[in-house]
Amino acid sequence: MKFRHLLQSALTLLLAASTATAKDIKLLNVSYDPTRELYQEFNTAFAKHWQAKTGDKVTVQQSHGGSGKQARSVIDGLEADVVTLALAYDVDAIAQKGRLLPADWQKRLPQNSAPYTSTIVFLVRKGNPKGIKDWSDLVKPGIGIIPANPKTSGAARWAYLAAWGYALKQNNGDEARAKEFVAKFYKNVPVFDTGARGATTTFIQRGIGDVLVGWENEAFLALKEQAKGGYQLVVPSVSILAEPPVAVVDKVVKRRGTAAVAKGYLDYLYSDEGQEIAARNYYRPRSATVAAKFADKFPKLQLFTIDELFGGWQKATKTHFADGGTFDQIQRK
Amino acid sequence: MNWKWLVVLPALAVAPTLTQPASAQAPGGDTQKLLQRIDELEQKMKIFERKRELDVEAARDATKTATSISEGTSGFAVRSADTNFVIKVRGYVQTDARFFPGDRNTGAVNDTFLLRRVRPIIEGTVYDTFDYRLMLDFGQNLASGSSAANQGQIQDAYVTAKLYPEFQIQVGKFKEPVGLERLQSGANLLFIERGFPTQLAPNRDVGIQVQGDLWNSRLSYQAGIFNGVADGGSGDADTADTDKDIAARLFAHPFKDSDSDALRGLGFGVSGTVGNHNTATRTYTTPGQQRFFSYTAGTASAGQHQRVSPQGYYYYGPFGVLGEYVISSQKVRNAAATRRLTHTAWQLATSYFLTLEDNSFKPIAPRANFTLGGPGWGAVELTARVGQLDVDNDAFPTFASTATSASEATSWGVGANWHLNRNVKLSLDYERTVFEGGTSAYLINGEHAILSRVQFSF
Repeated sequence: MKFRHLLQSALTLLLAASTATAKDIKLLNVSYDPTRELYQEFNTAFAKHWQAKTGDKVTVQQSHGGSGKQARSVIDGLEADVVTLALAYDVDAIAQKGRLLPADWQKRLPQNSAPYTSTIVFLVRKGNPKGIKDWSDLVKPGIGIIPANPKTSGAARWAYLAAWGYALKQNNGDEARAKEFVAKFYKNVPVFDTGARGATTTFIQRGIGDVLVGWENEAFLALKEQAKGGYQLVVPSVSILAEPPVAVVDKVVKRRGTAAVAKGYLDYLYSDEGQEIAARNYYRPRSATVAAKFADKFPKLQLFTIDELFGGWQKATKTHFADGGTFDQIQRK
Repeated sequence: MNWKWLVVLPALAVAPTLTQPASAQAPGGDTQKLLQRIDELEQKMKIFERKRELDVEAARDATKTATSISEGTSGFAVRSADTNFVIKVRGYVQTDARFFPGDRNTGAVNDTFLLRRVRPIIEGTVYDTFDYRLMLDFGQNLASGSSAANQGQIQDAYVTAKLYPEFQIQVGKFKEPVGLERLQSGANLLFIERGFPTQLAPNRDVGIQVQGDLWNSRLSYQAGIFNGVADGGSGDADTADTDKDIAARLFAHPFKDSDSDALRGLGFGVSGTVGNHNTATRTYTTPGQQRFFSYTAGTASAGQHQRVSPQGYYYYGPFGVLGEYVISSQKVRNAAATRRLTHTAWQLATSYFLTLEDNSFKPIAPRANFTLGGPGWGAVELTARVGQLDVDNDAFPTFASTATSASEATSWGVGANWHLNRNVKLSLDYERTVFEGGTSAYLINGEHAILSRVQFSF
């Protein structure tokens, strides 16, 4: 009995000591290509916030790459506590193929789990020598378009659908005309990169093509970093509302004991500070207050959603990006 | 690079024109076309180079995500790109020759070539954490005649959850953690056959074991619960009783991280088992694998069985020595009586590499592989040992007959191992065994055994 009493006392002391001690926590955020700068700033702010709130020290590691490839890595075992990807379809794949989070993951956070949005715009060389103003200018002969490959890049899928949506609107919903338009669009693509950041490299560092078609935030970032480089933004008349989603990877956080901090991390993206960081990094904030504060930063244009024109990501993927889909058909021509 | 010349040469050709001040001469129609052509060629060149760059990146990514296949001294291995999944195909074959000079006039038929062990091994890892191993043996009982008598056996079939280095769980059929020499691989023995202590220690059994290495492997432990097997025996199921054996072992390398070469190779420990058995008893054999003790018909174990084994080894440069002692105490019963019998066995075995390789409990690699006509000789190892198995005198005459059994066997032997490389090993041993207490010609004269082996492992 004496021994049992000693053991109980020791365990009680251990428990008390462990609960009183601040923890060092590591999180892995698996994200897509152009969010490096956003999450570098956000991670620092969140670590500060979390330490003030709980006393725990959080270090967030980042992993970036093409959205589809990143999803595949998580399915294959990359231990992501949270994913912040370019497409809801990629998170769906993690839920369906990896069974790492529930199918209704998108309902767990506000605004379809997309704390910020973006769209697809054009970046052209200084003076806009080819006179590019809208989507219709891109399909003219002799124009070199630099998007990424829709087979591997989330940004490229958004760009593809933006072009398709524009053509649908111009042709009263005629799918055949839209397909013809998009075929012409991709005929003008001299080289495909696997991700959005690679496409930017092709356009800016390698000096290839007349127009970069990609993320709005990536275009702004390029303008900021290449202030003397001679580029200018062209905002088309219409584009797509891109909603990059975020999600906690349930099975991983359960195994690693990081559920609370992972949820706190994503919740903080919706806070005023999180929204301001997103806006500062050229992502359109969801918060009306923060959006108003940064209103002059983001050009106004007509935006359509994927649900409106394509029936959601599952349907769009099956129709356009699956093997044998319209993108493959266009490429074979 | 050729594309650059395509751009540069036309550019040089028109250079005098282009260097004229704009006011003096605005680009004419032809010049404009030429400039446009240069731009186009430059774009093509850039596109070509970027495509090549992307191809290189794609190839590098493909390498990162590709499954790797390797083949070498440790067999054939396939690894997933993240190394979380590994499967290895390995194995070894031992072809022995046993000759017993001096017993021709006794009528014994025991000189033979035989396939001692034929063991394919499949082992690997899944999800980084779980190791598995399956080892079959097609060399069992071949000594008794043709391949028709061969009974392929499952030697190892287990999975190990490597939760932490300090705490792992192993489930399946594997060696009980008792005999020191028994825990050494059959492909890595000093002598062709194991010494007497192994006769009293359990072999492979089915059960569950926790194990781990503590303090940077200065102390290792294993503890498990098993069906329980007779001395030297293996089992796949326990149909004789519902009792189970508990087996445990502690082994220390206290100077593992020492700066002193003379101390680093010291390891010692103790192991043991306890349990109740109601199974058939086993016979004891000499290093030449000839039977020198067997219980009389109708004798079986009947109650508590305990084993204790202090053990240790020491390696220093090319020198190594290994020693162990086993006490096996169990109740036996036949129609005449029930009695507790306590048998003991010990051995001391030593070896020295003439070619100065570092000696080890684990497999060694020759400094230079043997090459025909070349400078390499492989590794040459000389061995010597002495050992004894002492059967409890109370076994006679109730449980054993002096006509067929001795109460004590003492042997000494010398040998040589020639490791041509990591995969091929030739061995030659001479063992002399003398007996006490037996009355047969074999037991009176003792045994001279010449054993040889050609071993191929991969």
